[in-house]
Amino acid sequence: MKSPWLLLALAPLAAAQTVAQLDEVARVASVMVDGDVAKRIVTDRAIESIMKVDKRDPYIASDNYDVHHEPFLHTKKTLIRLSRLVDFPCDVNLWMPLPTTPPRVHIVIRNANEMSRFWQWGALHQEMFPPMKEVFEKGKRVAVADKPGWIAILAPVRDSLGDIVGLVEVVARQAPDPRENVK
Amino acid sequence: MRVLLISLAVCLSGAQRLPSASLELLPEFLRPDPFGGIVAPDRGSARAQAPLIAARGGYVSFHLVVKLPDGGPYSLDLKLTGRNLQVDVFREWFHLTRKRYFPDALIPVNLPYRSQLPEPDNQVDKQTAQAFWVDVWAPPGAAPGVVEGTATLEAAGRTQSLPLRIEILAAAVPGDDPFVIDHNSYGSSWIAEYYRNPGESDAAFFQSDRFFKLIHAHHRLFYEHRGVFHQLGYGHGGKVGPEFAPELTGSGKNKRIAGWDLYDRHYGPLLDGSAFEGSRRGRKPVPFVYLPVNPEWPASYLWWGEPGYETEFVNVVSEMERHFREKGWTQTRFELFFNHKKRYKAFEWDGDEVRFLKDNRYFLEFGRLLKKAVPSDSPVRFVFRSDSSWAMEAQFRELAGVVNFWVCGGGEFSWFDYAPKMLKDRGDIVWFYSGPPNVAEPSVAITKFPLRVWMWGIDGYIHWLTVSPGADPWFRFDGGGTALVYPGVRFGIPGPIPSVRLKLQRNAVQDLALLDSFRAGKGIDALRTEAAKRYNGSAPKDWWTPRPKLADTPAHEWSNTDIAEATDLDQRLFKKLDPSAWQNVRDYVIALAKEAR
Repeated sequence: MKSPWLLLALAPLAAAQTVAQLDEVARVASVMVDGDVAKRIVTDRAIESIMKVDKRDPYIASDNYDVHHEPFLHTKKTLIRLSRLVDFPCDVNLWMPLPTTPPRVHIVIRNANEMSRFWQWGALHQEMFPPMKEVFEKGKRVAVADKPGWIAILAPVRDSLGDIVGLVEVVARQAPDPRENVK
Repeated sequence: MRVLLISLAVCLSGAQRLPSASLELLPEFLRPDPFGGIVAPDRGSARAQAPLIAARGGYVSFHLVVKLPDGGPYSLDLKLTGRNLQVDVFREWFHLTRKRYFPDALIPVNLPYRSQLPEPDNQVDKQTAQAFWVDVWAPPGAAPGVVEGTATLEAAGRTQSLPLRIEILAAAVPGDDPFVIDHNSYGSSWIAEYYRNPGESDAAFFQSDRFFKLIHAHHRLFYEHRGVFHQLGYGHGGKVGPEFAPELTGSGKNKRIAGWDLYDRHYGPLLDGSAFEGSRRGRKPVPFVYLPVNPEWPASYLWWGEPGYETEFVNVVSEMERHFREKGWTQTRFELFFNHKKRYKAFEWDGDEVRFLKDNRYFLEFGRLLKKAVPSDSPVRFVFRSDSSWAMEAQFRELAGVVNFWVCGGGEFSWFDYAPKMLKDRGDIVWFYSGPPNVAEPSVAITKFPLRVWMWGIDGYIHWLTVSPGADPWFRFDGGGTALVYPGVRFGIPGPIPSVRLKLQRNAVQDLALLDSFRAGKGIDALRTEAAKRYNGSAPKDWWTPRPKLADTPAHEWSNTDIAEATDLDQRLFKKLDPSAWQNVRDYVIALAKEAR
């Protein structure tokens, strides 16, 4: 985990340009993604069920996962527009924290290239990743380049009170796999 | 109609008997183990032997077991004389799962087959028996009569013979089945995992003729086993694999199809039937195929609810309809199908297994778009498919006239005995879905799917995943609950190989095809009554679950536990199936075939 600018200094020129473009998308995303709308996406019922574990019904949490159509769609469209600020395949995903101890996160909106540096395919929620924790705590963008060929910039999403209620993951791959997650 | 009755008599002459080696024939539902016994789930049958029967245009199958208590080299041969019968022999691979061995993968072998026990590559410690699956194919033109044959085992310098006598009666298995058995899969990355050469790049592999031939080989294998193969070409977020869709260019009113190269290489031979040229069932276009259409293709979801979405969708789908029409691809049903679920976080509505009724409005909108894109007099057959479980009854009602192809969860569907007639009367196609039985279940378990389709009077069923035998099916097997075929590369075969379960299923389907052909004379109700009785002592009404009170409450309030408690079909009908259950049905089919003569 490095700051975007340190990463810039370390990376080859092409990769550095990519990082810079992704960081710019992330900066804009922090302004454009509406945290109040994002908070209204997942239904209360889904949040109440999301941590449920039932040996007789292993799908109880995912079967109860639900979202409100309008705030989801509003936010998804914003994320798609943000991804189009660059001219290479890029996804802008929305992540939000869950009110759990220890803290957990869940991806709330994914996009068409089906890329994420963090999402484990099919996971409803996951442990809080250290770079995400840093974004939530410090409110700064964080670049993640710990996996060869991948670059992700995390940026905070704030609501009207100024609280950080989520984050965007702006992610790209050096060599996108056209079949990744086609399953 | 003429029937081919093949009865294989097992006898060894006293002069040739060797205490240390033997050759045994077992009915297809009694799977051998590698130590000379029968696998535990298949034991306890009321019938240790059974007549082996196939109509012309069908197969008769059995296990041939080489037993060498002292191990060592051996040679196996089998010859049938006359009648133009064709014999396929497969070595049965013994998979270790749950600390027990089960035969499943079938490796084609040439006769005479020479090897030794223990079989070197299977690595079964203290193996004393090797099983072979034998398929005897009676072509449609095979002459009735008696066929003699001999299976021969050579071991320790001596020869044993197993005389075979095949009696031919009258009748033929219809070429078309009364229902579809479908075998599903997702994407094509798994093909690369099994078949890509070391060091071969993605770009080289996925554009190669070999890749497309591998896809076609899977279709061909399932087709030869009276089945259909499906490959879904997009992910839950809407990303489409390049070989599953035409290439697009532009945006908004300028969005159009830029090229068909990969699509046509993939689907052309399937849609004109040439992929099946030379097969025993003959050249025939695939009956069903997924479209790549999803909420993110061909229209960008950015425009959902705006004029641009409709424009992009209608223009591209219209181009597709035109292309299909010009190619003459008019015998296949092209499925508009949504597989995404909101739990995968890419869209705000469930396309698959709708639970929340608010999501139905998206189906209505896509129905409108499809209608606008496809001319009403088009000879190309587009269908709108919904895979439904929780809310199927409400969807039957709310999406009437929009969705016309229903793939239903079998448990919930069993609550609605009125549904087959209601749906079929309005012209809809009806399947149910499930998954292949694990090899540790009784072998007869695979027959419950085709029989259930036929008892219910619907159009088909689908195994949800059939090409995923796990990372190491050979020595660390997960049981095959998601696989009915295996990669053949380990045996030098550049394509998929079948399984015992796939063969059993095929034989059950051909029996039902023959049984169904008697409906005009006997009446379908009488046929179902007798088949159910012979299968498990049930009556046709037992194949439905009395409508539970749960069905009258909102689906989004149910849990899977609720559904399981309200649905006792599996427990009642299939929990204690006798290993010979299917053989009892087959006896009935053969009796009718003899009558018909």
